[in-house]
Amino acid sequence: MPPLADVQAGVARALVMGDAEPIAALLKGGADARARFAIHQRHYVASLAAALRQKFPATAWLVGEDTLLDAARAYARAHPPHRPCIAEYGEQFPAFLADRFPALPYLDAFMELEWSVGRVSIAVGRPSLAWTAVVRGGSESLLSAGLTMQPGLRYLRFAWRVDELMTMYLRGAVADRFVLRNEDAYIEVHGARGALSIDRIDPATFAFRSALSAGASIGEAASAALDCDAAFDAGKALRATVDAGLVTGLSDPTKGRVS
Amino acid sequence: MRKAVATNAVGSTLDAQRAGVGLRLPHLAEVAAAVPPVPWLEIHPENFLANPHARELLSEIAARYPVSMHTVGLSIGSADGLDLEHLTMIRRLADEIDPVLVSGHLAWSMYGGVYLNDLLPLPYNDETLRIVAAHVDRIQQALGRPYLVENPSCYVGLGRSRMGEAEFLTELVHRTGCRLLCDVGNVFVSASNMGYDPYAYIDALPAHAVGEIHLGGFTPEPDDGAPGREVLIDTHAKAIAEPVWELLAHALDRFGPRPTLLEWDNDIPPFATLMAEAERANSVAARVFGEVEQHAAAR
Repeated sequence: MPPLADVQAGVARALVMGDAEPIAALLKGGADARARFAIHQRHYVASLAAALRQKFPATAWLVGEDTLLDAARAYARAHPPHRPCIAEYGEQFPAFLADRFPALPYLDAFMELEWSVGRVSIAVGRPSLAWTAVVRGGSESLLSAGLTMQPGLRYLRFAWRVDELMTMYLRGAVADRFVLRNEDAYIEVHGARGALSIDRIDPATFAFRSALSAGASIGEAASAALDCDAAFDAGKALRATVDAGLVTGLSDPTKGRVS
Repeated sequence: MRKAVATNAVGSTLDAQRAGVGLRLPHLAEVAAAVPPVPWLEIHPENFLANPHARELLSEIAARYPVSMHTVGLSIGSADGLDLEHLTMIRRLADEIDPVLVSGHLAWSMYGGVYLNDLLPLPYNDETLRIVAAHVDRIQQALGRPYLVENPSCYVGLGRSRMGEAEFLTELVHRTGCRLLCDVGNVFVSASNMGYDPYAYIDALPAHAVGEIHLGGFTPEPDDGAPGREVLIDTHAKAIAEPVWELLAHALDRFGPRPTLLEWDNDIPPFATLMAEAERANSVAARVFGEVEQHAAAR
């Protein structure tokens, strides 16, 4: 009998690739051990396809159940999970499915939006920071400070207005005819404890908030926003961001978290 | 009457006479809000590690109920080692909810960094014993508490085993001081699929080491290799079958009162259905231990 590591390497390959021939001699039990092993092979593909179906119901609505499940089975073979929590599985599925459907150029964006919707829906909102706490240290120190944003925030920029299509799906109000516009969409997705909002924001606000979310200082975020719009008012934008409850903490890179 | 209780670090106890229920995500909000009268709950930590909202609800629930943790991703049989990052996350969750029991499977599900989303069989030989024992030691060291190892459901064996599964588990207990989780449903499924006596299997386990019992439903399917025969699939998608209730009675008679858990993981019914199944387990225990008391009184 080969070492256990070799046995497991062979079985893992046989499960992922769906071919039990190389390990046939190792299988024992039942009248036909390969038929018994096929139970595990079916489970591997079916359980992962079901997990992907659960994560992408809007995509299943858009492309059809069978289409999605066929692609999910292929994805399970091409991209086996690398983490023990299946909730984290499927991040590359949008690009994988989009590659199979070049006639749907908006599919990748739509699925990326759906993935983000799923992730932020299970986030937990933190107590938001009041404006008075933000300005307490004066405007000079604010420029170098960073903000901690709500964990359930995502900033997504697409070349298609897929947010309109997603909103229509989520509201269950499917129109007889829908025109998906090939126009830039700057989207803020905010969720917590099952609640969700998908909002279109202007490009400069998008640049400001997405930079803050990525860890930029307020000054750096304002600079990114000014590159989009020379008339961008950083003070007003900062106040609006704080008042929207999107900020949970303030930090200075030289002093660490201060509130 | 014999009495068995499980105790966590702060002394919260499980009454071994009353069956608990596996808590799955569809019931989480309902249980947190309605606080149904179940004596204890068991969770799969992997459902909570990447789900902050679920974890928040779990914290509320753990403040009200004794909770046990049943790991499904630790893969103690992996030849290329434990996922220590995952073990650390499990330990952090255990620190948060202080589970009364922590358990996992005698199986493997990961190799070369690939997770196969299944509980796969092991050959029962010296090499496997060495690997599994080292991993159980590491887990117990990390968690600071005994780990309960569950007998797997089996459809096919891998390689040649030098010993039987019950003998393997007994030796594992001897080497590591771990405890056992006897899944009576798995005993029935494996015995039926692999052709052995489930009662003899129960009798071969070291009763003193058994710290918990599981019950789950199975689904019969045609056995592709044997026309006209069935293979039992451990789906946890159905009510407990009658022969498994009988096997539970035998297990309780042999082990004494043990925390018993109802698992239902697919096609999950209303929580009330799970509570009704738990009541049935309670009535089996009452019948078994009532008989024990009568025998004792007659002596």
